[in-house]
Amino acid sequence: MTGGPAVEAYLREVAASMPGPRRARSDIVAELRGGLLDAIDARRSADLPAQAATEAAITEFGNPRQVARAFRPHLAMIQARHTALALAATGPLVGLLWAAAALASHITLRHAPPWQWPGTPPLAPAAFPAIGAALLIVVTSTLATIAATGRLTRWLAASPRIAVTTAATAGFAAIAADLAVLALLASQLTSAPGTLAPLPVAAATAASLTRLALARQAAFKCLTTRAALI
Amino acid sequence: MRAETLKGHLDGLLLASLEAGPRHGYAIMEALRSGSDGQFDLPTGTIYPALRRLEQAGLIEGTWSQEGGRQRRVYELTPAGRRTLTAERGTWREFSAAVTALLEPAPRPVTP
Repeated sequence: MTGGPAVEAYLREVAASMPGPRRARSDIVAELRGGLLDAIDARRSADLPAQAATEAAITEFGNPRQVARAFRPHLAMIQARHTALALAATGPLVGLLWAAAALASHITLRHAPPWQWPGTPPLAPAAFPAIGAALLIVVTSTLATIAATGRLTRWLAASPRIAVTTAATAGFAAIAADLAVLALLASQLTSAPGTLAPLPVAAATAASLTRLALARQAAFKCLTTRAALI
Repeated sequence: MRAETLKGHLDGLLLASLEAGPRHGYAIMEALRSGSDGQFDLPTGTIYPALRRLEQAGLIEGTWSQEGGRQRRVYELTPAGRRTLTAERGTWREFSAAVTALLEPAPRPVTP
């Protein structure tokens, strides 16, 4: 159900200055619509004509930009949590696909530094520490974000700014990890292409590229909601 | 009364407004307004985001209700919310008793 044109125009104005996940935003707009219609009803039952009742209710709800601004911290927390949960869900999958690709390929990896095998690409000594460091940042930032946006906010003062910052950090570190793995793959393809199992490597590459694109999008959304915080 | 004056007590007041049973956002605004004799006329931009924050903290739970074709988000206290309300109430009683003792003029000694 929708309100009258004045109500919908007001809600559109609120939605316009509220960056964040689409579903969370439409949820807020729907809740405000219900409240506004209740406020109009309250005025009408006090014998105010329809238009005056609508105007009074909209005045009561206040400046739409201010209302939108008040929701920004909440939306930033939701954006951060979504990003972190998505990374936590996709990370292990991408990792498993690369592990499977490495196992299927004819690579015998020594379980100790300097992690070399016959036909080791020249990039390997730089890529492994880079992947390790990036993954460490992804895991810690993701877990920190999930913790800071959940039930812990009951006891700790919630900081939306910190939450979107750690979420964006996790996103960018995930991108770095994907890029480092893909660079290592490119390096192996040029130095010893015959050692790779085509199908598992293609699957892992596709997964990494998809995750990379999604992580990039999510990280930039985190930065947008962060910039909207005062 | 301005929202800043209430800062620190808003969460407790919102939880208290749900103690008797579930309510939607506008009904909570009304309850705070009428329950305080018009003193706490809190703006939309204060009440609704605060309800979302309390929900995120697991102190209240919101569900959508459809009544007469109108969608409303109805909130109710969770067990954790009930415990927090009890704790807030205790803190407030101690605090207000101390402030009253200090702010109110001491009763004059009655001269015989």
